[in-house]
Amino acid sequence: MKALVLVALLGLVSPALSVGAGDLSFERTEERAECKNHDPVRQPFFGDTHVHTALSFDAWGQGTLATPSDAYRYAQGEPIGIQPYDPEGATRERVQLRRPLDYAVVTDHSDLLGETRICGDPSLPGHESLVCRVVRRFPKLGYALVNGHVYSNENPSRYSFCGEDGQACLEAGRSPWQEIQDAAEAHYDRSETCSFTTFVGYEWTGMPGGNNIHRNVIFRNATAQSYPTTYIETPTQEGLWSALETECLDAGSGCDVLAIPHNSNVSGGRMFTVNRPDGTPITAGDARTRARLETLVEITQHKGDSECRPGAADEFCDYESLRFPRLGEMVSPAVDPSAMPPLMYVREVLGEGLLQSQRIGVNPFQFGVLGATDTHFGTPGMVDEDEYRGHAAGTVDARFGIPAYPDRSDFNPGGLGVLWAEENSRDSLFAAMRRREAYGTSGPRIVVRFFGGWEFPDDFCAASDFAERGYAEGVPMGGELPPPPGTGAPRFAVSALRDPGGAGVPTTDLQRIQVVKGWVEGDRVREKVFEVAGNPDSTADVDFATCRPRGEGFETLCGVFEDTEFDAGVPAFYYVRVLENPSCRWNAWVCLERGVDCSQPAGVPSELRDCCDPEVPRSIQERAWTSPIWYTPPPTLEPGPAVPSDADPAG
Amino acid sequence: MSRRATFGTLLVVLVLVLPLPLLGPFDALVPVVRFVLLLGASSAVAIQEGAAGPVPMIVLLFAAHAVVGLVACVLLASLATGGLSHLAPGTRRVLVGVFVFGAVILASVFDFYQTPFGRAPESNLWGLFH
Repeated sequence: MKALVLVALLGLVSPALSVGAGDLSFERTEERAECKNHDPVRQPFFGDTHVHTALSFDAWGQGTLATPSDAYRYAQGEPIGIQPYDPEGATRERVQLRRPLDYAVVTDHSDLLGETRICGDPSLPGHESLVCRVVRRFPKLGYALVNGHVYSNENPSRYSFCGEDGQACLEAGRSPWQEIQDAAEAHYDRSETCSFTTFVGYEWTGMPGGNNIHRNVIFRNATAQSYPTTYIETPTQEGLWSALETECLDAGSGCDVLAIPHNSNVSGGRMFTVNRPDGTPITAGDARTRARLETLVEITQHKGDSECRPGAADEFCDYESLRFPRLGEMVSPAVDPSAMPPLMYVREVLGEGLLQSQRIGVNPFQFGVLGATDTHFGTPGMVDEDEYRGHAAGTVDARFGIPAYPDRSDFNPGGLGVLWAEENSRDSLFAAMRRREAYGTSGPRIVVRFFGGWEFPDDFCAASDFAERGYAEGVPMGGELPPPPGTGAPRFAVSALRDPGGAGVPTTDLQRIQVVKGWVEGDRVREKVFEVAGNPDSTADVDFATCRPRGEGFETLCGVFEDTEFDAGVPAFYYVRVLENPSCRWNAWVCLERGVDCSQPAGVPSELRDCCDPEVPRSIQERAWTSPIWYTPPPTLEPGPAVPSDADPAG
Repeated sequence: MSRRATFGTLLVVLVLVLPLPLLGPFDALVPVVRFVLLLGASSAVAIQEGAAGPVPMIVLLFAAHAVVGLVACVLLASLATGGLSHLAPGTRRVLVGVFVFGAVILASVFDFYQTPFGRAPESNLWGLFH
């Protein structure tokens, strides 16, 4: 309650208003009741855009039985069962989200939708094929063989049991694709309550040569592709974009769609390419296509953080970082981050976007950020460190028993995506994704506002109409600064509220707000981190005997930052990072709960040996990252990307 | 019982029952025959459907374990045969019989084996073939 009062005082959430359809600042593309909780200065909605269920081969192959409907029930706070299951199919593990989500998207792999159905359904031809028999007889072997055959293959193909041109498997995939759409419809609250939003989605699962170039495809409304694009039939990202344009955006059916790249940290640098497949540099047209479809990127998730390269001058880049550059090298020896390929991290790619915009006049990498889980249990939003069960990433087997140590030590529970939207409806949330008014958190429900402009006064944080003025006098996260009115420097207003907790979720005070700037200098991109609010010299830590945070922190932080080093002649981006005080990482909670005593090594069970490995961090600083605000020197070289936009409420 | 028969009998039993670890993050402990089964399954899929991505590595992993495990069984069987060679054939037959009977009974009754690639985490001898 205290936090809610502070929210209201800061003007972060204004009183809910009821509006008529004609007053909307976004386009309504579907039939639904008007939302009672509509707020023209927008509200933060927490959700998860990356969820796998039993319809994904790699989830099913690990014993996941949760359906898309189960996943949506879980997201809304209902208990569901996960593996292990007993021989009769009854779950031995029930899980429940302590704080429901506002929205979720089931994004099962489009590849192998049909194969998964065939191998699991004795009535379908192909069920007794060699591959399906191996999958059923040796599930873990089948998992490795099939994933390798399809996802990691530079030239993927259908299995022979799929018949001519893979038609049998494509046909079998129609039923699960319909199931995904039906579940999204069934759990979408179209009433005036607007309590929960779902989107139809899928994951395009390209991993050529083990380099992860996956995209989550999310549709604005119930109108979607008749069949999801697959890596097998369409093995390039350019092919995916082309299919999404042809079959959705330009189909004249009311279909609208976005694609969200994830895990650039294990992409080997192939996710954000600056060359076409034929090796020639991308053109302005290519950049516009990408920018039209890819307005957001997943900055963090279960399989590591993608913000910035560990080991860089920024000490906070060494956070949930993986030491292998390709997803296909999960069990390979560790690689020094400095030796990893370029363009694997969001910050680097944002910088490359500035360079590309100078070269071709269009920024192909003008994206905002979200967090997500990538759960393969069908458990969206399972991000709490103290209740982590793993996410079934193929590393720890939960088919046979509840693992004492639920994941690889370098994996984590993942994060959440936060959308600043007028209401909790598909159109409003989708418009937020498109205009990049979004941010990611590593799990906590930190509320962050970020505005950029030219006139924000030093005492802006005291304004009771902080948000209204932020929109009126500047642009929110994801926006582009208007041309400078004079010779002044841009000013940025940032406010953050700590996770208010509740429902027994342990939460932590805020420590600081930082602004990360990237800009072009010559033909290079430079970056710098500025402290804006809070206490950079904080000595707060964690009591590992109880996992209680110790030391002073902040419930709210707010600051106005002026870029005194601003050069109006060079392009730049600015994003915010909000850091909490240290708190227990998931492994510390597990080891505490299991009563591991590292002073008695002989008594530590082998499955808990990582509890006593000094290389495994026991505490983390949870955080939030906002989408950037860009500055482009006038005049622009060419018109910007053809990104459909929804109007700003106060702009 | 001839020296050759002794060696052959011991080798077959060791291949069937001697638990060996699978190197890597798998926590598997299975006899050579299981490696051969996994090798057969993975290579059959590779032959029929093509060996792309990490599939050759998987085949190689099981092939290497099958070969190394077989060599280990041969060495153990040779050592045991040598150790038994000074005994009278009848005595040797009895000892080998007791070993075979005991090993098969134990492997059949207890879930010695850790089988993460299968449908159950642990297995006895006969479960390896189900």
